[in-house]
Amino acid sequence: MKQAGYGLTLYIILILPPVSELLESMMVFHMHTQMPLFVFSGFLIAPFLQRKFPNFFNKWNRTGIPGLLLVVLIWTYWQLPRAMDDALLLTMVELFKFISLPFLVGVPLHDSWKKVNAKVQYSFLIYIFLSLIITGFLYIWLDEQICNNYLVIEQQTLGWSSLAMGFCLLLYLSMKLFGKENTM
Amino acid sequence: MEQVQNIMKKPKSLISLGVNTQDARISLTYFTTSFATLLIGGILGLIQGLERAGLYQLPQGFNYYQVLSAHGLLLLVVFTATFTIGYQLANLSYAFGGLLPGVRKMVWTGIFLKLAGVILTVTMIALNEASVLYTFYPPLAAHPLFYVGLVILVLGIWSVCLAVFINYRHWRKEHPGQTTPILSFFAMGVFILWFFASLGVTIEVFMIIPWVLGITETINVMVTRTLFWWFGHTLVNIWYIVAISAWYIIVPKIIGGRHFNEKLIRLVVILLVILNIPGGFHHQIVDPGISLTIKFLHVFMSLSIAVPSLMTAFAMFYVMEKAGRKKGGQGLFGWFRKLPWGDVRFLAPMIAMIAFIPGGAGGIVNTSNQMNQVIHNTMWVVGHFHLTVGVSVVLTFFGICYWLIPHLSKRQLTQRMNKIGIIQTWIWTAGMAIMAGSMHIAGLIGDPRRTSDTTYGGSDIALSWLSYEYIFAIGAALLFAGVIIQVFAVFHMMFFAPKGHTEYPVALPEEDQPAVPMWTERWGLWSILLIAVVAMAYVIPIVDMIVNAPPGSPPFRTW
Repeated sequence: MKQAGYGLTLYIILILPPVSELLESMMVFHMHTQMPLFVFSGFLIAPFLQRKFPNFFNKWNRTGIPGLLLVVLIWTYWQLPRAMDDALLLTMVELFKFISLPFLVGVPLHDSWKKVNAKVQYSFLIYIFLSLIITGFLYIWLDEQICNNYLVIEQQTLGWSSLAMGFCLLLYLSMKLFGKENTM
Repeated sequence: MEQVQNIMKKPKSLISLGVNTQDARISLTYFTTSFATLLIGGILGLIQGLERAGLYQLPQGFNYYQVLSAHGLLLLVVFTATFTIGYQLANLSYAFGGLLPGVRKMVWTGIFLKLAGVILTVTMIALNEASVLYTFYPPLAAHPLFYVGLVILVLGIWSVCLAVFINYRHWRKEHPGQTTPILSFFAMGVFILWFFASLGVTIEVFMIIPWVLGITETINVMVTRTLFWWFGHTLVNIWYIVAISAWYIIVPKIIGGRHFNEKLIRLVVILLVILNIPGGFHHQIVDPGISLTIKFLHVFMSLSIAVPSLMTAFAMFYVMEKAGRKKGGQGLFGWFRKLPWGDVRFLAPMIAMIAFIPGGAGGIVNTSNQMNQVIHNTMWVVGHFHLTVGVSVVLTFFGICYWLIPHLSKRQLTQRMNKIGIIQTWIWTAGMAIMAGSMHIAGLIGDPRRTSDTTYGGSDIALSWLSYEYIFAIGAALLFAGVIIQVFAVFHMMFFAPKGHTEYPVALPEEDQPAVPMWTERWGLWSILLIAVVAMAYVIPIVDMIVNAPPGSPPFRTW
């Protein structure tokens, strides 16, 4: 309950207009701070929902795979520069972001993580790693402005940030794969 | 005093514990270097205080900035680093029952590299080829050998870091399923932070060397300043972790108590390691070229350090109150009087802890954008770091000396030496209160820092600073007396005190404490989180500084 309270508090803070405007004012904060924090808030709220609606989760996400597929689908959508642009311009898309990231990414991720085996967990992390590296290089190499709302330098910054995060994830994966502890 | 007498009556079972003799030699070598440096740095500090007040003229061939550079480098880098390493290695040896033979070799290599590096850098300053101040950032350019000396110095530190990591790994392998002793956990925090802190300054120095050699014509000043403070601010928190290792684990034993919940202690260390490096940005809060949004967001990064600091403050008061009440302290503050004020091993770190209250409050002023603009280039900042480093850190170091050095040299802390220590602590406290206090006030009325002559042609405002500058000199004179007594005490305890045993005062946890969680030992994960936090904090300003770089600067020699 306490954890869900923290998650809800974080969620409310994130949707406050001054906070969301500040975090959306820079491309890198938009993608690498606001979005992961929304996911994290959903992650914290998840145990409460799992206790409240156990049948729903058992019916729709018994093996954990459907939940993880939903996570991949929604997360991939939010990697598109167009999606970020739309969120800034269209209220409905912004609303979709506020709902989809915590409740269609954070919550199913928490529900699925312990249900899937280590191989699936690694595959998911490798997917996140690859998405960071691909978008990273894309943003650094492209000379054209691919987001109407952000300058070229902001997308380059996001590119470097993606590479840095990808590097951290690579270190983590290496530590897990080659270190002593092989469980997640 | 009772505690000091008790040390000499320790049962034999405890005498067998302690630092391995070969490791003791390593720590004592570090302390010898450390306190020799303190003596030289202290003399330079006194000269500066007197010169600034106009009471003394430097001899021909020496200048204020040269003395300031040597004072800063010797005390902020060499004194603190050598003390930290000596103390942390002693802790590791105590906790692990001795260092590995290969590790000892690496540590000795580290000592020689560091000494070589220090000799080279200080020689360049003495030859007036490197009056670039402790921060040494461009466009000021020193002789190339000054930077080569710094590289060798960093290699020395890395050698010790690697040695500690190897020893830690070996212990974990030999003790599967066990958490490491708390003192070694602190040591890991210190050396991990040191390793990552020095990466920033290493990149900076490798940018500077081709620039001073003329291979590259210009340098990006903003990037080098940022890389310097990546290291410079983290160094502050390395001292802080070293100090709290004594506050959390040593002080409770000295006052007859138990240490606080180990899970919280470990969490404090982990938070300090992960959150620390980006705090460096508040040193650049008046720098152009960093957007206001970034500065605003970095206020959170800097202030996040307040969380583990407040956790420490509350935990320490809990421990002290409990120990004081156990000794019969009654009422709201009765426990406070029951604390062993006559024992230098407690008095010095206690004053250090108390000084951290105004020191921390001053730090919040420095971190705040608007308030920083009032005090940034003034003596306030000098007062601030003399209060934090000079009292909170250094008095803790001095307090450690009174049990660690006799323990290592197999001698006793005598009552007479304890009394000398008490006198030294009060002289130091008075000196710092006078000097740092007047520096804070002078700074608020505009007295600039890092400036040799501040009379500005006899303007009224500038002359109003003069009375405070006289007070700096009085404080500096008291501090010099403190340095002389401390250096005497250290070498006396090392070579001349009566032979015997001095306890290594390590507190035990309270009874019925839950087991320490294994997840705290995941240093690989904490290091990755550290890198991620650094990446999040630095990628925006650094990309901006490089992509939108102003014209680079050629080297300048202003002295």
